[in-house]
Parts: sequence; structure tokens; C-alpha cells
Amino acid sequence: MEKLLEILEDIQPEADYENCTTLIDDGILDSFAILSIVSELEDAFGVSITPAEIIPENFNSAQALWNMVERLQA
Amino acid sequence: MSLTSLMFIIFVLTAVIGYYCIPKRYQWLWLLFFSYIYYLSTGARTVYYLLITTASTYLVGYFMSRIQKDKDDRAARRVNRRLLVLALLLNFGMLAYLKYTNFLIANLNDLLHAQLNFKDLLLPLGISFYTFQSMGYLLDVYWKKCEAETTPLRLALFVSFFPQILQGPIGRFSRLGKQLFTSHTVDWEQMERSFLLILYGFFKKMILADTVAPIVDHIFGNPTQFSGVFMIIGVLGYSAQLYGDFSGGMDVVQGISGLFGITLDDNFKRPFFAISITDFWHRWHITLGTWMKDYVFYPISLSKWMSRFSKYLKTHLSKKLGRTIPICIANILVFLIVGVWHGAAWKYIIYGLYNGVIIGISGLLTNCYRDWKKALHIQDKSHGWHIFQILRTFLLVNISWFFDRADTVKDALFMMKNTILNFHISVLWDGSLLMDNTILHIQYRYIIVIAACLVVFIISLLQEKKITFAQSIYTWKPAVRFVLYLVILFVIPLLGQTPMAEGGFIYAQF
Repeated sequence: MEKLLEILEDIQPEADYENCTTLIDDGILDSFAILSIVSELEDAFGVSITPAEIIPENFNSAQALWNMVERLQA
Repeated sequence: MSLTSLMFIIFVLTAVIGYYCIPKRYQWLWLLFFSYIYYLSTGARTVYYLLITTASTYLVGYFMSRIQKDKDDRAARRVNRRLLVLALLLNFGMLAYLKYTNFLIANLNDLLHAQLNFKDLLLPLGISFYTFQSMGYLLDVYWKKCEAETTPLRLALFVSFFPQILQGPIGRFSRLGKQLFTSHTVDWEQMERSFLLILYGFFKKMILADTVAPIVDHIFGNPTQFSGVFMIIGVLGYSAQLYGDFSGGMDVVQGISGLFGITLDDNFKRPFFAISITDFWHRWHITLGTWMKDYVFYPISLSKWMSRFSKYLKTHLSKKLGRTIPICIANILVFLIVGVWHGAAWKYIIYGLYNGVIIGISGLLTNCYRDWKKALHIQDKSHGWHIFQILRTFLLVNISWFFDRADTVKDALFMMKNTILNFHISVLWDGSLLMDNTILHIQYRYIIVIAACLVVFIISLLQEKKITFAQSIYTWKPAVRFVLYLVILFVIPLLGQTPMAEGGFIYAQF
């Protein structure tokens, strides 16, 4: 989770990843940021993220992102 | 049957009254019946294309869903991918053939000095919209984002729902499907809200867009006759016309759907308050933008070849560039498609690329912007900076309109050059603005357009500030509201242009 937070901070520093659960709904992460995150997650955790995974439920919070990574690693 | 014609109003009234009178379980069939009546009224010859899209979408969706249930995951994915590609090729192939064959022939004739004959092709109304909506549904079924529809007639309604088929919004099955097929009872509050939205749409279309249209047409039709001031009047007028026409049309479409208790996706969110081109596309033609994002931008960016390219760049250049360059390329490709989607002409391709390149460069320079703002002590949340961003975006958008509206790329470039090098500010007071009275009632048109722009601006500003003026109207006494609506109903035809005198909706031609 720490590694994930580091990635998020690096790509979009102006967000409160500890508490925010509306990263997509409130437009904090745009499509450019989403794809940058995907690229970093694939490199850091060895997962493969398909277009089907790019839904608000998977990107609205750091926890949701972490859940997706864990699910794809399993 | 134009959306602003009396015939259409009678048609909608009949559909709405019948919808709430018949047994609830037949309501969706009623909508389907009226949707086909409406489509046939626009020209019966092209209904076959709609039927082909409907049938192929239904069959492929149905079989993909069956295969997903019967076979194991990998085998199902392999078979389904083939089915999906087949459907995409058929439907986008049909769209491409009808829309771009003559463009291709014209370019081949120019390039090879050939004399190929143009094809006599009739473009079915709304084909770009219903094709995108249907293919979005199939991709959602393929990605298991929604269940396939098992009743063919229900899918036929999703593809052809009459308020939206001609100019969108491009709906998603997961949101629209459910609403189309569930029964609705009369909700008077929603009815009134929808009625007010329809009136506002007619206001934007008939008073703003159709009033300014002849001025815009005259300037863009004769670019060599006018100086720079007219170029600015022309392009600002086009901004007003396009916004009034398209967003007004959307208000009418959403309002009519609301009369049936169906809420369509928003297509506009006060685009001229955008602070960047990216933000503009989040507010202008939203459903096309999200369609492109979900079904083109993400799949291209996450494709295997793009992933390989990204890895290559990360190894040979830098990690950051390896991450951002592929996204920029995907972005430019998306806007190239957006440009082509708008029409078969080079000017639209340039229009798309212009937007794509600006967004791509902004993406690449995100960190630089952050540093520059820090160095210049610019506060992101300051009013001054916010207004500067809005004005900068408005300028960039208006530059793009030159390509969108001018007849050719050459004309667009000529007009832009003229704006700067041949300004002639004296035309503002020497009577030239009347254009030798070639346009009927031109003085009144200027006054009406400026007043209508002010009304739209004030309403948009209130909405932007989240002050919902419309909400307070509903608290007024019914008699007062009734009089207000009557006045609006009286004013629109009085000040606006009659549909017989002016053209249909711009986006209905796409």
C-alpha cells in the first residue's frame, strides 16, 4: 500500500489519498493521470490491467486501487 | 420532421399522452413504435441500415453472452473477440462506406488526376450516433460491463429511441436500457422540469442559433470580402450558433425524454467556462468524449503494442517519457478520430488534430506547468488565474472553430491571417456592420443575439456557481408559473426564427 501511495503522490501530488473516495467522481484523476497510474502499477506490481478494469469503482480511492492490484495478483 | 416543427410537437404530445394511458407493460413497445415512426418520417430509404445495425448488435451481443456462460474463460474470449471484430467491421465499415467514400474518391481524383465517378450515397440520419451507441453496448458486453439484452425488440428500442437518435447523447446500455424498459407513472414535477428544459432548448436554438446563423454563413461564405473585425464577429457568432444549436437541441431531447420519465446522460456542462482544452472536452459533447475515452483511448493506450513501445521508451529515454509519450500518441489518435467523426473533409481532420496536439503537449508539460506556476507565485485557486485560464481556453477553442466552420482549410487559414493582418477596427462605426443589408433585419439580429447571449451567460454563470434559479421557479404559485411559461412560449416564436426559414440541427448531419 505504501508503494502505491508513493506512485499516486508522484503522479498527482495535489490529492488527499488517505481519505478521498471520489478521485474519479470529482475529477481529481483525469484520463492522463489514470493511464500514468496504470503504467506504474503494471511495472511495480507485475499486473496486467485491461480496459475492462478502468471503471470508477477501481480508481475512486487508494484502497480501491489496492484491492484491484491484489485481485489481479491473485 | 424537425425538432422545432409543429408536427413534431403534436407527435410528441400524442406519444406522451398514449404512453401514460396504455397498460404499463406495453410502454416500451409504445416507445419503439413511435421511434420507428419518427425515423421513417425522416426518410424511409435508409431504415435498412438501422435494421442491419440493430440485428447485428442483437445477435452478436446475444451469442457473446451465451458463449461466456458455456465455455471456459480463455476459449470464450477467443471466440467472442472474433464475433466482436466481425460486428465492429460490419457497422463501422457501413458508416465509413456511406460517409467517406466520396471523400476518398475526391482525394484520389486530386492526387492521381483520375476521373472516378462519385457515388450516389444517402447518409442515414443519426448513423454516427446510433452506430457508436450500439458498438459501445457490444464492447460493454464483451468486457462484461453489462448483460446482453435477450429480447430483440428491446435492443431495437435502445438503438432507435426517438428523442436521441438524430444527435445523441450517445447513451450507455447500463443506464439507458434500464430506464427504457421499466414502466413509468406520471411525475408532474419532472414533467414541468422537462417542459422548462424544452423551452430553454427552443430559446437557445430558435432565438440564439438560428438568428445568428445567416450572419455567420455570410461571413464564412465570403471570407475575401471582409476584414479582420468581421472574422472575429463570424467566429464568435459561430461559437454562439454552435452552442445554441447543439446544446439547445440536447435540452429539447433531454426534456422530451424527461416527459417519459427517462433521464438521458448530460452532453453539455457550460463548456465556455472550461479552464483548459481537456476541461472543454469534459464539458462539450460529453458523451462523445467519454465514448472515445472508454472505447478508443484506453484500449489503444493499454494495447500490447503500446505497452511494448512504452517499455522501449522507458529503457531508452526516461521513465516519465515512457509513461507519457504513449498516452499523448493515443490522445492524438483519438482526436483524429473525433475530427473524422465530424465529417469527411480535411478541415475536420485538422480540427481534431489541433485539439489532440494541444492536449498531448499539455499532458507532456504537466510538471513544467507546476514548476512555472510555483516560480511565478501563481495561486491555482485565485480568481485572476481562473479567469485567465477561461479566456485562454475560449481563445484556443475559437481558433479551432475556424477549421470547423470554414469551407476549406485554405479558407480557415486565410481568415485567421486576415484577423490579425487586416483588422480595420473602423468598420465597427462606419456602417459596414450592416453588410449592405444583404441579411434581413440585421440590426435586430445583432440586438437579439447579444441579448440572448447575455441570458444564456447569466443562467450558465448561476449554474456554474451552483445557484439553481430554476429550482426557485417551482416554488412560485402555479398560476404565476403558468403565465411565465405562456410568455416564454409566446416570445420564442416572436423573436426567434421559424424552422421553415432556417435549417435543421447542425449535429443531426453527423
